[in-house]
Amino acid sequence: MSSLSNRFHSTLLQTLAAVAVVSVSLSQAVAETRTVESAYGPVQISGQPGRVVTLYEGALDAALAVGANAVGAVITRGGSDVAEYIKSEAGDIAIVGAPAETNIEAVIAAQPDLILAPPRINQQQVALLSRIAPVVASNVPMFQPDSWERETRLFAKAMGREAEAEKVIGQVKERISEVAQVVSAKIPAGQRDAALVRWMPQGPLVMAEGLFSASLLQAVGFELTDKDLVKEGRPHSEPLSLENLSSMDQSWVFLATLNEDGDKALDAARKSPAFARLNAVQNDQVIGVSGQLWTSATGPLAALAILDDIEAAVNAIQP
Amino acid sequence: MNALSPTSAVASRALSLPLIAAGLLLFLIIIASLLYGAGPISASEAFMVLAGSGSEEARFVVSELRLPRTIIGLVTGLALGLAGALLQSMTRNPLAEPGLLGVSAGSGFAVALAILFGASTATLTSFVAQLGALAGCALVIAATRVQGLGNDPVRLILAGATLTGLLLALTSMLMLMDQRAADEIRFWITGSIAGKPLSMLQATLPSILAALILIVIVARPLAAMALGEKAAVGLGHHPGRIRFLIVLTVALLVGSATALAGPLIFVGLVVPFIARAFAGPDIRKTLWLCVPVGPAVVLAADVVSRLIAAPAELPLGVVTALIGAPVLLAIVRAGRMPSL
Repeated sequence: MSSLSNRFHSTLLQTLAAVAVVSVSLSQAVAETRTVESAYGPVQISGQPGRVVTLYEGALDAALAVGANAVGAVITRGGSDVAEYIKSEAGDIAIVGAPAETNIEAVIAAQPDLILAPPRINQQQVALLSRIAPVVASNVPMFQPDSWERETRLFAKAMGREAEAEKVIGQVKERISEVAQVVSAKIPAGQRDAALVRWMPQGPLVMAEGLFSASLLQAVGFELTDKDLVKEGRPHSEPLSLENLSSMDQSWVFLATLNEDGDKALDAARKSPAFARLNAVQNDQVIGVSGQLWTSATGPLAALAILDDIEAAVNAIQP
Repeated sequence: MNALSPTSAVASRALSLPLIAAGLLLFLIIIASLLYGAGPISASEAFMVLAGSGSEEARFVVSELRLPRTIIGLVTGLALGLAGALLQSMTRNPLAEPGLLGVSAGSGFAVALAILFGASTATLTSFVAQLGALAGCALVIAATRVQGLGNDPVRLILAGATLTGLLLALTSMLMLMDQRAADEIRFWITGSIAGKPLSMLQATLPSILAALILIVIVARPLAAMALGEKAAVGLGHHPGRIRFLIVLTVALLVGSATALAGPLIFVGLVVPFIARAFAGPDIRKTLWLCVPVGPAVVLAADVVSRLIAAPAELPLGVVTALIGAPVLLAIVRAGRMPSL
């Protein structure tokens, strides 16, 4: 009897426990509806959204970095597709617009469960897009050294992949310290002053110190300057008269153009006498880089690619 | 003053004084163009260079950056001023300006097309720009043939504005097709003489010289045509042939200027307007006065473009448009429009 009652009890307990587990997991599923703070207020999202459309290069980068299923993206500035550095990860992704203009019909066709948007998207667009899927616009101030980290975390939270985000951010930090060691081993202190310049058809464009790639250069030990030529309120870049190019004559010049590869940018710039006479050019310490990656992209994958560029350039120095 | 000497073919008393004044003004503007820039080299440092000393940096800025753009500005202003005067005299319309009539836009469209097919702005041949200008001219001539249009200055300009709008739309379409080209076209279409290599000038110089020779040939018959077509025929000229030569000349000049500096609007309007104000209705005098006034206007605009946006520069085309638009309004609103 007692054994029977014991068995009964244990069965009852097991059943109760099983019910409890089920109810807990059920309540977890319900509680997984989380609130993500976006630029236009809180957005409710549940679970891991399956199809993610990104209207922002930084969002595409973050989505691919955390392993989400990105099904739509905008073209990079000056290009006709996503940026070259991310093409292989992005695969055959649908293009749903340009950085400043979204093709709503293309977004609908991509059938998104979540839309990630840039900080500068306007409210009407958000209202319209919200009728297709929840829209998370970045609320992170741009052009801060940690903007990309905070944006990646925000977008990752929206995608329900925060653990993956922490992992990839950790990877970037590890790479930063690795590349920083290479820089300090290869370049003597005092010779690490650098400038980041974009070469446009009309001439040079000096990039702001707060730019994503500029902050990475500083993180690995370069002393980057824009010589205060980039004015307040223009956080990205400032066009420069050729007469002012010599003020950008640092030991190192990182030179980018949009959508042409770095070497072509160098060739174009070298034809200009004002550029050819810079000390950095004469000392062969000009690094041609992709403008898509260096002056337009943000995010963990972009960071890793830029750090690879820096490491390769520094490793190429003849001792 | 020796310029009053009767040996000079153009030295009528009425013209020599403005000519000398404009020449002096041009000289001063050339000096200013060498002295002032958007960079850290000050006017006094640049002056040291002109005086034969100065730092290495200053010498570079003056001789490699400011001198080339000054020379290119001189040639551009000369070409656009003369082209405007010729076009206005031929169409008898004080508003007939290459920029407004679509000649520059035609040239610009041709260049945009060339850039799209892979030409870079640096390697561009002025031939493409001249072909485009010629096509633009042909359309203008066609427009003047439309019944009644040729006699109404403002309607001709409206026709030109339509053509310009159409060509700009086509150019925008090209820009949408290729983003790399778009960057180059966008910059080029605004008009600038900064950072242009002097080799560009060598490419256009033969056409400019040819155009100057043509002007010498057509100036007298053109003046006769101002008396009326019948009078010109009576004097033994062939208006049709003259018109053809003028169109050719304008295309050579505008094409060269466009290849050098992009489609600068309003220069061809402002320069002959100033020249006519001092030279009177005789096209030959106007043309002479355009020689110093054209370069002076373009260079003055260029100096302004360097100074108001330092450390960057404003595109020259923006400045010429800002100067030209009020002049256009002034001419249109002036009680009676001078019929040429």
